[in-house]
Amino acid sequence: MPGLTSTMLMSVQSLLADQAALQVTSNNISNANTAGYTREVPDITENTPTVEGGITYGGGVTLERVQSIRDTLLDLRISEENQQQSGAQAQVDSLNQIQQLFSDSSTGVGANMSAFFNSLSQLSTNPTSVPQRQAVITAAQNLASSFNQTSTQLSNIESSLNLNVSQNVNQVNSLTQQIAKLNVQVAQMEKLGQEPGTLLDQETQLVQQLSQLTDVNVIQTENGQTITTANGAALVVGGQNFALTAQADSTGTTHVFSQGTDITSSIQNGKLGGTLQVRDQDVPGVLNQLDTLASQFATAFNTAHEAGTDLNGNAGGAFFSAAAGAGAASSFSVVITDPNAVAASSDGSAGSNGNIANLSGVQTTELPSGASPTDSFSNIVFNVGNLTQQAQAESTAGTASLNQLQDQWGSISGVSIDEESTNLITYQRAFEAAARVISTVDELTQTVIGMGATS
Amino acid sequence: MRVNPNITPDILNAIWTTQQQENTAMQQLSTGRRVNSPSDDPAAAAALVGNLTESDQTDQFIKNTSNVEGMLQTADSTLSSVVSVLNQAISLGVQGATGTMSLTDQQGIAQQIVGIQQQVMQLANTSYQGVYIFGGTASTQPPYVADASQPSGVAYNGNSGVNTVEIGTGRSIQTNIPGDQMFQGAGSDVMGSLQQLVTALQSGDNTAIGTATTQLRTAFNYVTQQRVFYGNAVDQLNSNSTYLQSEKVNLASQQNDLVGVDMAKAATDLSNSEITHQAALAAAARVAQNTLLDYLK
Repeated sequence: MPGLTSTMLMSVQSLLADQAALQVTSNNISNANTAGYTREVPDITENTPTVEGGITYGGGVTLERVQSIRDTLLDLRISEENQQQSGAQAQVDSLNQIQQLFSDSSTGVGANMSAFFNSLSQLSTNPTSVPQRQAVITAAQNLASSFNQTSTQLSNIESSLNLNVSQNVNQVNSLTQQIAKLNVQVAQMEKLGQEPGTLLDQETQLVQQLSQLTDVNVIQTENGQTITTANGAALVVGGQNFALTAQADSTGTTHVFSQGTDITSSIQNGKLGGTLQVRDQDVPGVLNQLDTLASQFATAFNTAHEAGTDLNGNAGGAFFSAAAGAGAASSFSVVITDPNAVAASSDGSAGSNGNIANLSGVQTTELPSGASPTDSFSNIVFNVGNLTQQAQAESTAGTASLNQLQDQWGSISGVSIDEESTNLITYQRAFEAAARVISTVDELTQTVIGMGATS
Repeated sequence: MRVNPNITPDILNAIWTTQQQENTAMQQLSTGRRVNSPSDDPAAAAALVGNLTESDQTDQFIKNTSNVEGMLQTADSTLSSVVSVLNQAISLGVQGATGTMSLTDQQGIAQQIVGIQQQVMQLANTSYQGVYIFGGTASTQPPYVADASQPSGVAYNGNSGVNTVEIGTGRSIQTNIPGDQMFQGAGSDVMGSLQQLVTALQSGDNTAIGTATTQLRTAFNYVTQQRVFYGNAVDQLNSNSTYLQSEKVNLASQQNDLVGVDMAKAATDLSNSEITHQAALAAAARVAQNTLLDYLK
């Protein structure tokens, strides 16, 4: 039969459980704004009842454990979305720098090419005028320097991207190191049936940060999480992390190695993937278009120029010089320095402008690439704009779904101050009631003690 | 149903989005352009390259037109002077062939014709901005020099080359008639006829004077005909110039269609985005302050 003492003890359990629940609530409120913190819920259960004389008495209450509320699948979805969105955003950041080079249509290769042909047209009205010949050479030099500058700026962007790759690799390594440490602790606690709680929150948070940097694939094993990246290369296995290394090759291009294997071309996502996409696909694509234009334009113009005669009656020489193929834009230069050497004449007389029509014709004639010089340049502008627009659209879409996923995450794991306030009142009242029981039992006990006393 | 209690990111997103819209509308209004980076509309940005090239080219064609026009007008007025002195020479030739003329008088007229000869030569050596306009493409030196060994009394140092200048896409205009064609055409040799007239007058041979005068008249007619070329060319340039101006307007309007902003739309966008931005801010201010704690005592 239950006695006063057991009632008292039961109330103490109740006080302890409520106190613990209040502590959980307090912890939730404290961490309401902590990134990655998942709310905790006290798991309060009934004790085993006791049966006496055919009557079952409840055994009071115990705080079984404190449980973190999380959805592992959702975490994986967020990780995937982080990989894609960060990749697209990294592309947007770099491509925005590239498109700046093609934004101002009043300067640059297109405008200078147009100005160059106009200077030739101007010369056709007075082919013997030395100032106008000088103007042609100046316009040609402007064109050459805009080819050079655009090419140099693209190369500069390329090398700054190499720096980004090394920095991202360092960040990946620092994260995997931290994850490996937590991974062991979490696995051990889970093995012992303990709630890893905050440790798992931290690990999940680090995995999300890792997802923003590169491809991440998480496999849950007995010994914690196994994290692999592109090409199946391991980043974290149990308590061990495998560092990636960034190494520049002979051309200065930084490659990413895992355990001695070059995985550069397999990295698709995260900042690293986006950066590599721009560095290895987009920039070389644009540079290649620019080089092709520079080289084919130089050749076509030289052919036309060599068909003419200069002011002194000599056959026209090469007007421009450019390397064939790669490096053409950066090596593009004007050979002619003497205004008299511009071969405007077609009949050998100084006053003839007959060859200018041939020279001007280069502007509208298809190069071997299949487009005229002007069209070739507009293709480059289109290409750059299109790449940037695509990456922007991808990034915007990624941000939107990431926001939705974060909303979903918040609805499951986020701390609600309203909810915690309600809990606070609930546990406070329960605590007060339990305390009341104790004081009642106390009074009863005194009554019992008083029964034996004589006054 | 449990909802995401942390609405700060959503609120911030809403504010950023409306702010972005506001910035875009503002940028469009202040630059007057819808396409400020190639990614705003890659196709339009690419088409703009072609459009600007064409528009620069049109400006250049307008310059070419006025440069060429100056030269053609100089040539035309030079020829007008040639025509008037030749007219004078013909009158003198007719006068010299009359029977009552004494040899002395005829030789006096011959002196006058020599003067005309020199004038014609000077006119044929007219230059425009350093270019001898009747020298063909050998235009860096005076095309005619006196040369007694020649039957016409002058040597032609020019050539028969002609220049053409592009004054529109695919449209060119011839800018000169070489001196050998203008003044020394077969059967219409101005220089030769004048020299013949001088010789005939000096010798007092009335028949020869008549023949030379007739030849000079033929040459005169020929020059007058050739002069029409310049008149036509100037007309052509004038109408070309009008065409180029309208072409420029077309290109500017195409450019506006490609990358320009619809001002009315941008202004509406701006005020709309301002309203949504304010609404987002107001909502944020309201939502962010309310918790259950406000109502608990």
